[in-house]
This record gives sequence, structure tokens and C-alpha cells, in this order.
Amino acid sequence: MLYEPVKGGLRLAEVDAEAMRLGLSAGQNLADARAMVPGLTVREMDRPQLEAAFADFADWHSNASPLVAVMNEVSGFGNLVLDITGVAHLFGGERPMLRLLLTRLRDLGYTVAGAIAPTIGAAWGISHFARSQVVEAGDLENILDALPVHALRLTPVQIAGLTQMGLKTIGQLRPRPRKPLQARFGLSLLTRLDQAYGMVEERMTPRLPPAERYAERRFADPIGLMDDVLMTCHDLAIQLAIRLEAEGQGGQAFHLFLYRVDHKVMTLSVNSARLTRDPQHITKLFANRSERLEGEYHAGFGIDMIRLAVSSVSELDAVQLGAFSHQGVAEDLDQLSDRMSSRLGTMAVLKTQLVASHIPEQAARLVPALAANDALRDAGWPVPPRPLRLLPMPERVAINAEVPDGLPASMIWRRDSYKIEKASGPERLGAEWWRSGQRLQLVPPRPPKKGETPPYIPNLPQFDPEAGTRDYFVVEDATGRRFWIFRQGFHRAGEPAVWYLHGFFA
Amino acid sequence: MPAPDLQQRLAALRETIADIERKPALAEARVLVEQQGSAFPVLAGGLLQEIFTDERRNAGALLGFALAQAKGLLTAQRRAVIYLQLADEAQKLGLPYGPGLLSFGLDPDALVLVRAANMGELLWAVEEAIACRAVAGVVADIGSHSKLLDFTASRRLSLRAAATGGSIFMLRYGQGRAASAAHLRWRLMPIHSARSRYDAKAPGPLRWRAELEKGALIRNQTEFVLGWTENGFTTLPAQRRHANRLAGRAALPRTVPAALADGLSQTA
Repeated sequence: MLYEPVKGGLRLAEVDAEAMRLGLSAGQNLADARAMVPGLTVREMDRPQLEAAFADFADWHSNASPLVAVMNEVSGFGNLVLDITGVAHLFGGERPMLRLLLTRLRDLGYTVAGAIAPTIGAAWGISHFARSQVVEAGDLENILDALPVHALRLTPVQIAGLTQMGLKTIGQLRPRPRKPLQARFGLSLLTRLDQAYGMVEERMTPRLPPAERYAERRFADPIGLMDDVLMTCHDLAIQLAIRLEAEGQGGQAFHLFLYRVDHKVMTLSVNSARLTRDPQHITKLFANRSERLEGEYHAGFGIDMIRLAVSSVSELDAVQLGAFSHQGVAEDLDQLSDRMSSRLGTMAVLKTQLVASHIPEQAARLVPALAANDALRDAGWPVPPRPLRLLPMPERVAINAEVPDGLPASMIWRRDSYKIEKASGPERLGAEWWRSGQRLQLVPPRPPKKGETPPYIPNLPQFDPEAGTRDYFVVEDATGRRFWIFRQGFHRAGEPAVWYLHGFFA
Repeated sequence: MPAPDLQQRLAALRETIADIERKPALAEARVLVEQQGSAFPVLAGGLLQEIFTDERRNAGALLGFALAQAKGLLTAQRRAVIYLQLADEAQKLGLPYGPGLLSFGLDPDALVLVRAANMGELLWAVEEAIACRAVAGVVADIGSHSKLLDFTASRRLSLRAAATGGSIFMLRYGQGRAASAAHLRWRLMPIHSARSRYDAKAPGPLRWRAELEKGALIRNQTEFVLGWTENGFTTLPAQRRHANRLAGRAALPRTVPAALADGLSQTA
């Protein structure tokens, strides 16, 4: 029995079969229910947790049909809808399929009701208000007409209104003129009615994107070892490769779904830098990926189905391998970065991309090697020497100079002091006003004359060129180490200058 | 007292054993080196090189020396250099910087950066990278000590490198030297730059001093003073070392030939 606070009072939200026999119902005040049944055990309802658990359920049911959704019109959990078009024959027909799905949930200790019907609305109504059954298109009207109006997924207000009018079953409601109904109950009532009878098409949004190309294997006995999973993955990759090859296609993203016996699905995904269908490579990527989740992998009571799906598919022509060509080199490198990314993570394998900017830390960007495209070759203007290593964050240093605005003479960095023997600079780098969100002050705004609209002045802070100005120096200490240091802002008499170390030269 | 011919045979056998015990890849390395005069040799691929420097703040020079060698290994077939670092050491050592690579003479496109989470993953990535035939060199920048970096690991990497023909450069810091199966071990220090052509106060072209601590090159030269241009190394005549440089520590011994290390009595 679950309760939740509704409109300032604690009300029962869900009741089980036994409570219903005792005369309790959902929506009842908790205090009233306690008065009727003194020994009542109740728990507070945790909707997010229920929804998450139900989402797991939905994912698990994708082993029955690729299109599974949680219906959330009535509540965020509790209703699962499967599109079984073209699937039922795999289970020996619709009736055995329904029986299989229901019994395997009942075996887990859940109370389930289900129905197979031509429309989503009818299936919902029948599963909730009739026995579990398969309804053919011909019987749909007879069965639906006999059901109470509650079976239409209506709001409590609509149901109360219909009850007041004495319309108890759908069969009584359906022949009524539609215009007055719409005026009184809104369009949603008619929509629900039409959806149930299939006059209007209703769409479902599947939780997992349907993969068109996949290979799967079911096991008579559940398997548990990761090695077995990977061996199966290799077999599936070969099956998939044969299919992709026949179609002249290759994929970039591969997903491995592991369906556990205890209604959980584990998903592993790997990406490849270039289109591929090479089963060896795909298996290797999954092997690397699985090593990364060594601790998280938990087969529970075993895995009874494995599916390998491919997405981001596009055309990939067959290539002849040449013994002496250089064509395979780029491919080898891409495969290497795939393998390393699959184990170390995508953000761990990086390439440098040059950006046309003179701010040092913005001039080079590290992008995942999988996503790297052709870099900017040359900035196009002569660039003064740049350090071989750059610190991700410049570090504060203390600098002494012989004359206040002169070349640095000594430096203290990480509590070591350095005597600077040679130095060159400054190289002055200003802030990029064209990238900043600040406005340049060019003409002072004058007070508007009478009757004149004041000029539009964007509400931005003023651009301060001094704030972003840096003076860079290349300095060499007594032992020949060479550093790249800069002073933030201009030199000002009486104010201590702020210096940073930014990089190391070779 | 055995007969003299017996002694000769014994000496010959001992020589054979020494040859077997000497690391085969190292023997090969002697052959692969091309050296002209006293210039810095062009080292072929397939070597595990350890490059040590005394302090972390020499990190720039250390990376420069490794990339300079790796650049010489780049060909149309092998067109990438993989640089590996532990992710949490980036702020200590700095990351290779694209425009800096350009001014150093290496195409930033050829360098792949790998930031591993721990030493185990880093060593895995080194091995994975060197196994790829399109990789010219692997530069592993290791700023800390780890138990995983033992003799077994270096032996494994040295065999891998010899088998695939790419070179591994292990950048290490500090004075300590653990046992390793590296083919060559360098100690690299930056020294005063040359005079700048236009400005006496400005730093000029860079200079490094590289000492070979382990392994042997053809002419048994162990000390080089190097410069670097975009086109390759320039070798300068080694100056006499300052006496005070040596005063602080004992000179590191050159590798002992295997024949002396095998524990056999040398007086037989």
C-alpha cells in the first residue's frame, strides 16, 4: 500500500488486491483508511524511483520487441506498451507470446495484466478492466463497448462528469452526439475515444532508438562470464559484418545489449573513427571497453540474450588491400586511436587543432582523436617562437627586475629561485575585442534632446583593453632552462606587477 | 693447470655465452646506427630509450630531445608520434603545445596525445601504440615513480619495440636509476644557449648536453653537445666538463659486459 501527499493531505496512491477487498481505494484519505483498517501498513510513494525501475523494465522488454515504450499519460510508471507488429511469429503466435511475457513476470513475483489489441488505447483499457486476452480487430467493438468509461484513459474530472450523466460504459457513450460532448468534456475525450477504436492513429515513442541492423543470440542456459560474452560478441560481429558487406555499408557506432535474466539490460557502446565492419576490430573495441568496467560488470543470475546493433550507418565500399600502398596507414592510426579511446575513454586520446587566435591558450585546442578533422595548417602570419610545453593553468611567479619596466633579472617559481641571464621581450598580446562580449566605447553618448529617442546602447560592460593585455618574455636561467613568462596588464608605478609562468621551451 | 688449448677453448666458450647473454636487440642496435665523424648518430627505430634529466623543470628540453629523435623516424609509412602522460601530471609538466611544435619543426597533426588515468593504463597504451605499424615513436612522459615500472615492464617494451620497429622514448626525471632493459639510456641537461645573432641579451639557439649512460654507439662516444634546427641535430665539439659538475656525485659506471657479470671466476 503506497500513499503520497496530494493537495495538503496524505492520500492513498496505489492499493493492492487485499486492500481492495477490505474496501480501500486509491485516492482515499490516509486517516480514513487507517480508521477502517487499524493494522494498515503503508509506505510513502517514491515516484522517481518507481519510474527509474520501470524504465529498466521497459529496456528489458526490448528482448521481445524492438519498440518498447512506457506510457506516461496516466502515470509515469505502471504501463508498458510494446509494438509487436511482425514479431509475434517468433514466439509462436500472439497468444503464446502474451502468455510468455505475462508468466515470466509473474514468476518474478509481480502482479501483471496484459492484452494484445489492434490499438494502444484498446489494449490499455482491456488489460486494466478485463481479463488478459488477445483481441482481434473484429471483436474490438463488442469488447470495448462493454467496458466502463474508466477504460478510456480519462482524467478524474471527466470520469466524474460522465458518471454524473449516467454514462457508465463506453457503449453508452459512443452513440452520443460528439459536439455537446466536446463542449462539455473537451477535445481529449473524443480523441481518447477515437484512439481506442482506431479512428485516429496513436504513436508511441520507443525508449531505445530502433536499430535496423542487428544480430542477436539467445541462450538456452544463461551465461555469466565476460569471456563468453566477448566470444558471442565476436560471432555476432561476424554475422553483422556479412550482412553489412552484402549491403555495402559500414557503421561507426556499435552497441552491445546484454539482457539479464533478472530484467536488467546492460549496454556497452563503442565508437569508431571511420566507417568499419571489421569483426576483429569491433570485438577488440568491446574487449577494451569491458576491461574498463571490470568492477561494474555484474551478470546477476546470468545473461540470456545478447544483441549487437550498429548505428551511424553509411555507405562503405569494398577496398582492395594493397601490399605496397600507403593507404592503410591512416586506417591503422584511426584503429589505434579507436582501441585506445575504447579503453581509456574518448577524452583521453586527443589531437591538437590549431585555431586562428593569438591568445596562446586559445591558439591550440585539444579535440578527441575520433572527432578530429583537418586542422588549420598555418596561421598565415609569422609567429614568434612558442614554447614546446604549455602549462594548462599559468602559475604565479615572483619577478625582480633591475629597472621597473625592464627585463626580468630573477624569478621565484615553485619556491625555487632562478637567476635570469638572458631575456627577450616583451611580446605584447592584447585582448581580442572582436571575440569579447563587451562594447567598445568610441563616442561618448550625449544627452538626448527633447522629443528625440535616445540612441540604442547595448547593455554590455565597457571593453577594457588593459584587462587582457599580457607582455610575454622568453627568459633563460643560469643553467640554460628557458621559460615563457608574462606580466598581466601594464606596468604601473606603485603597484606590484603580476607575473605568470606559462610554458617551457625546449 | 689445464692445457693452453683448453684455456683458449674456455675463453671462446665464455665469449659465446657473453654474446648470448648480451641482449640481442642491443647487438642489433650497434649495427643500425649510422654515425659520421663525431656527429650525433642517426638512431634507427626499434629501440627503447630512457631519457633522464635531473629535475622536472628541465621538462622542455627533455621533450625536445625525444621529439627531435622521433621526427627523424617519421616516414610516409610511419606518420604518427604518440605522446603519453598521466592525466594528473599535466599541470606539473605541461602539455605539448601545437604552435610550439610548429616552431620546433614537428607537424602538430602527427602528434597524438594520450592522457592515461594511471600507470597501468599508460603502460598498456604504450604497448598498444608501439604495436601499430603506422607509429614512428612513442614518447612516454613519466613524472613520478611507480612500482609497475620495473624491469619486467621495460623488458616487455624493449622486445615489443625491437619487434615492430618503432622507438619508445621514456622520459624520466630524477637521479635514481632502476634496473631496466632499455637499449640506450641518456642523461640530458639543457646548457647555455648560443649567442643570439641580433641581440646579445636574448636567448639564442638552444643547446643540450646528452650523456650516454647505458648502451653503446659505434665509436663509443658517450657525450654530445647538441643543437637543434628544424632540419635535424647539429653536433658541437664537447667542451671540457666543469670539475664541479662531477664533484657532487660519482660518475655513473658504463655498462659492464655480460662476461664479467655472469659470476664465473675470472682467474681460471
